[in-house]
Amino acid sequence: MDVLAPAIHVRDLRKLYGDKAAVDGLTLTVPRGCFFGFLGPNGAGKTTTIRMLNGLTPPTSGAIELLGLSMPDQAIEIKRRIGLVPDESLLFDRLTGHEFLEFVGRMYGLGRPVARERAGELLSLFELDGNQRKLIAEYSKGMRKRVAMAAALIHRPELFLMDEPFEGVDAVGARLMKDLLLDQVRRGATIFLTSHVLEVVERLCDRVAIIHEGRLVMEQAIGDLRQGAETLEDVFVRVVGAERGVEKLAWL
Amino acid sequence: MPAHVQAILWAQWRSLMNFRRGAGFPSWILPALAVLIWYGFWGGLSVIAAFVFASPAWVEMIRPALPGALLVVCLYWQLAPLMAASLGASIDLKKLLVYPVPHRQLFGVEVLLRVSTCIEMLMLCAGAAIGLWRNSALPNRAAVIAFVPFVASNLFLAAGLRNQLERLMSRRRFREVAVLTIVLAAALPQVLFLTGLPAPLRNFFLGGHLGWYPWSVTARLALGSVSVGAVAALVGWTALAWLFGRWQFERSLRFDFEAAQSEGRKTAAGVSRMDAVYRLPALLFRDPMAAVVEKELRSLSRTPRFRLVFIMGFTFGLLIFLPVLLRGSAGRSAGVPSDHLAMVGAYALLLLGDVGFWNVFGFDRAATQLYYLQPVKISRVLVGKNVATAIFVFLEMTAIAGVWTLVRLPVTPLKVLEAFAVTLVLSLFLLGTGNLCSIYYPRAVNPERSTGAGSAGRVRALLLLIYPVAGFPVLLAYGARYAFQSQLAWWSVLGVVAALGAGFYWVALDTAVAKAEERRDLLLQALSRGEGPLALT
Repeated sequence: MDVLAPAIHVRDLRKLYGDKAAVDGLTLTVPRGCFFGFLGPNGAGKTTTIRMLNGLTPPTSGAIELLGLSMPDQAIEIKRRIGLVPDESLLFDRLTGHEFLEFVGRMYGLGRPVARERAGELLSLFELDGNQRKLIAEYSKGMRKRVAMAAALIHRPELFLMDEPFEGVDAVGARLMKDLLLDQVRRGATIFLTSHVLEVVERLCDRVAIIHEGRLVMEQAIGDLRQGAETLEDVFVRVVGAERGVEKLAWL
Repeated sequence: MPAHVQAILWAQWRSLMNFRRGAGFPSWILPALAVLIWYGFWGGLSVIAAFVFASPAWVEMIRPALPGALLVVCLYWQLAPLMAASLGASIDLKKLLVYPVPHRQLFGVEVLLRVSTCIEMLMLCAGAAIGLWRNSALPNRAAVIAFVPFVASNLFLAAGLRNQLERLMSRRRFREVAVLTIVLAAALPQVLFLTGLPAPLRNFFLGGHLGWYPWSVTARLALGSVSVGAVAALVGWTALAWLFGRWQFERSLRFDFEAAQSEGRKTAAGVSRMDAVYRLPALLFRDPMAAVVEKELRSLSRTPRFRLVFIMGFTFGLLIFLPVLLRGSAGRSAGVPSDHLAMVGAYALLLLGDVGFWNVFGFDRAATQLYYLQPVKISRVLVGKNVATAIFVFLEMTAIAGVWTLVRLPVTPLKVLEAFAVTLVLSLFLLGTGNLCSIYYPRAVNPERSTGAGSAGRVRALLLLIYPVAGFPVLLAYGARYAFQSQLAWWSVLGVVAALGAGFYWVALDTAVAKAEERRDLLLQALSRGEGPLALT
């Protein structure tokens, strides 16, 4: 294992669904300790990329290395060291928040008492301890994101892969999550997140990359971006070529 | 037991307990009763097997029969889940793959879960093993331990087959063909039973004790004829089954289900041709009803689960009645049609029940809330869904009649008309009951899965009551024809039953609509629910 290796290194990553390329020749390096924003319009290939990174979806071609380890050859070791905030489908709806966190802790190799204790502490931190018997199925969208974030933290990972972590989270929850993530970066962890909230990305991230129709169209340090006159939103809209289609709908 | 496996089983246990948490005691009674009857029957058989196998007087009869019996056990173990269109519980790989669990441990859980598909055979094997162990006439009673690798190899084989099938069924178009082929193959035994076993097969089943198959070596060992060759053969078979199961499991781990599902999408020309068919209801109904019917026709015909049971209706349905049909034809003068066409139609309704009657919001899942948001009465939605089901019932009957004619079974136009009338009248009762069940016992169903239960467990238990009660009025028409020897009597009674059915349907619809408003939150909540770490398919 190479401790100096970048947190994420992908080469010519490609994923085809039928004839359509969801990700098309993506090459990207994310240094360790970096807060990395991975942006793109809907259907650009962000979630597919995250799913390939965490081993859920096998790439059609290309190479993936996380923390100096090769995916999928060293998948188990990689999974032990990453924390994932997935899309909602990976939560177990019929468990309570506490049960889910305890389950996740045990899956990451924590002893049962430790997993139970951390689950309680995390629930309290994320203000989800109000209703102990509430099932995840009964959680609101924001609560589901909070419990997913708590699950990603429970084993203190070195690398976080986060798919829209702030989606549906209220201002207080989002602030808490941002503070926690910045703390994780300060202790040396790497964060790779996708988000449509560009202001948040601009404020938190060290570097951003924009993917469009499966291809990487821009990668830049936020510091460089700030020196120009454009905001991240301006750059984003310019790079992905958004048009004001609504003007074509006369009846609207 | 490894910590990961413990965690998975614990989470599944908690999920099951939480799922039942809100349910009152009465809701447990019917499913519990159904389980008790089913496993009570197999438990009884196991006790009988234990007594028979324990008797020294029976040894000479058991000796030639045991290999064949174990082969039947093996076939039942592997095929019964397919015939029930249910592959049982399995690991939800999508949810568990993100965790650092060694694959061998996941495979261990998968193998353990295969027990869920064939507890009956485990009970029988246990009964036989206990009996043989107590049998004083056998030279080496400890050799009944041979049942252990036999059971293990069946579990490994079942795990492998399940994984292979799941991958096959994830491929567009191919999945229905794959399942249908297997299901048709599963119906072969009764056809063979009627036509008689060909000599090679007869030897295979009855003279199996001479071979080196898993069932024959297990039988030989269990009956005390221990030899190095037999032990080596059984160990070899078990190892082979393990290798097959593990290989298939690894392939599933690497398999991209989403990519497979995106293969073979329809061409633009194919889509536009079908589009014209889907728009036909607009000729008969006005919006919003036409829109609901059209949406149902589109979504159901694109749903693998629906396509499978629809195809099964006119293939498997006919095949399993084939022995009865052939026997019926042989017993009467050639060319005289029977009422079997109506019987096959009624069986097709049974197959369509899960996807068309008992849980009409199941495929819509969380999207059901749209019906409450749009300015359309929920009664329109229910009727629209029912009309779509009725159209499919009509198409199913047309297909059955077509295949019936194609295979040259005796039928007259009058009998075809009768069969259509019976299924449509029966449908009225089933649709009325189905609307109530859909409101009271909703359950989210994954439309991409080709197999598995599509309605709540309580509904499946209730079906034991619903079908006979719904079928009884229709049977009265046959009773009238028998009593009066008159076709007019049949049509008259069926007409009265149809009027009764229409009345029942409207009353049930009114109740369902009222309850749909009352139970809105419960309904939407139930349809938004996901599963635990295991998936029941």
